[in-house]
Amino acid sequence: MRAALTQRGEWSAAQAIPPATILVLSILSVLPLRVPDYAAVTPLLPLAGVYYWTIYRPEWLPPLVTFLCGLVLDLLTGAPLGVSSLLFLLARTAVFSQRRFFINRLFPFMWGGFTLLAAAAIAFLWLLGGFIEGAMLDTRAVTLQWVLTVACFPAVSYLLMRIQRRLLPS
Amino acid sequence: MRLAVPVKAIGQRFALPILVLASVAMIILGKADTLLFERLRGSFGDIAAPVLGVLSEPVAAVDRAIARFHDMVALYDENGRLREENTRLLQWQQAAQQLATENTRLRELLKLAPDPSASFVSARVIANSGGTYFRSVLIDAGGGDGVVRGQAAITGEGLVGRITEVGERASRILLLTDINSHIPIALDGTRERAVLAGDNSNQPRLLYLPARATVKVGDRVVTSGNGGIFPPGLPVGVIAAIQDGIVRVEPYAELSRLDYLRVVNYGLGGVLPQPVPPRPAKPPRGAAREAP
Repeated sequence: MRAALTQRGEWSAAQAIPPATILVLSILSVLPLRVPDYAAVTPLLPLAGVYYWTIYRPEWLPPLVTFLCGLVLDLLTGAPLGVSSLLFLLARTAVFSQRRFFINRLFPFMWGGFTLLAAAAIAFLWLLGGFIEGAMLDTRAVTLQWVLTVACFPAVSYLLMRIQRRLLPS
Repeated sequence: MRLAVPVKAIGQRFALPILVLASVAMIILGKADTLLFERLRGSFGDIAAPVLGVLSEPVAAVDRAIARFHDMVALYDENGRLREENTRLLQWQQAAQQLATENTRLRELLKLAPDPSASFVSARVIANSGGTYFRSVLIDAGGGDGVVRGQAAITGEGLVGRITEVGERASRILLLTDINSHIPIALDGTRERAVLAGDNSNQPRLLYLPARATVKVGDRVVTSGNGGIFPPGLPVGVIAAIQDGIVRVEPYAELSRLDYLRVVNYGLGGVLPQPVPPRPAKPPRGAAREAP
């Protein structure tokens, strides 16, 4: 598989992997788990995808693709269109500018970076949501959402790392 | 070909600001005019519905298995409780039958126009909305199945919300806990009118309740039928708390455990833009007096 995807003809297939994984993470985050109050604190799994690929394969997650990933997430969740696109674009820009601090560093370092990014992202969504709806909401739900997002990161990044090592050229 | 390189370079350079602006523009446009985006969402729902339908099935299966296990553990107690409840319900059934007959007779006497008959579409929840600000679910029935924007969605227990986006195979239901949900309700018994407004908490609050209204914890809340979106009398919930003048309602339907639900078509046009069916002719004034 690795050999196949590293060949020039298969280049575009490999390029589709980052957005495809973000799409899968988006779908996972809207599956109706029947856990009380889960919907409000659903972890922002696709953000982990944006973070990971911006660090390891930014050229395969260009702004346009990032924008489209956000659009698909908004369509899936029923959020106002453009909210996640804006979030992902800003997250990509921020992570890309600090990329050299994270690349090929120990995992806790990368996790720490994501903790900060997730805090900023969720705070941003909270403020933007408040602006759109004209009402600020309880911060407990967003705090729990942040904790869950950060807690899911090791599993997500492990899976993405496996995918990257198996399918993508180094 | 020579031109293509600088064009591409410029495109790459300005892609980010252009896309950020596009996102902001979409947010503002979406707030101002939702019709175009609603169509886009509807079509996207149609594309995503089969995938989400397949993927949500194992999740639902696991959930059902867990529920079954819980049920088995509680089987003995449950059986006793149900027997008791059954005896009580049989008495209620007697009462209901008597009342139904009496009601029909009185309606005939008054020559009341019959209520529009309801039809149902059953559907399964295939996606939740993640996030703090939005409370909605996607179901696997759409315009092709007879679902129309504005219709009520209910479970066996009570009202869930209303249809806000309709595709051919999928539609979105705005839950009554969403901050954008405003449902005209009435207190069962006193018939005081109010609006049930979601605020993204699990217990939506009552707005515009008349100051003279007497309300206490445990009162039933039903749809009032004002605005013509929902039929009157659909069970919504019970008054759960009254604190500092804020009255909160606990919905009957378990909104975080939605699986199958029904979309109700009562043939009401309502205030939402859609073709209005002709209303049945009203009986002439004084018709009741002529009745024997």
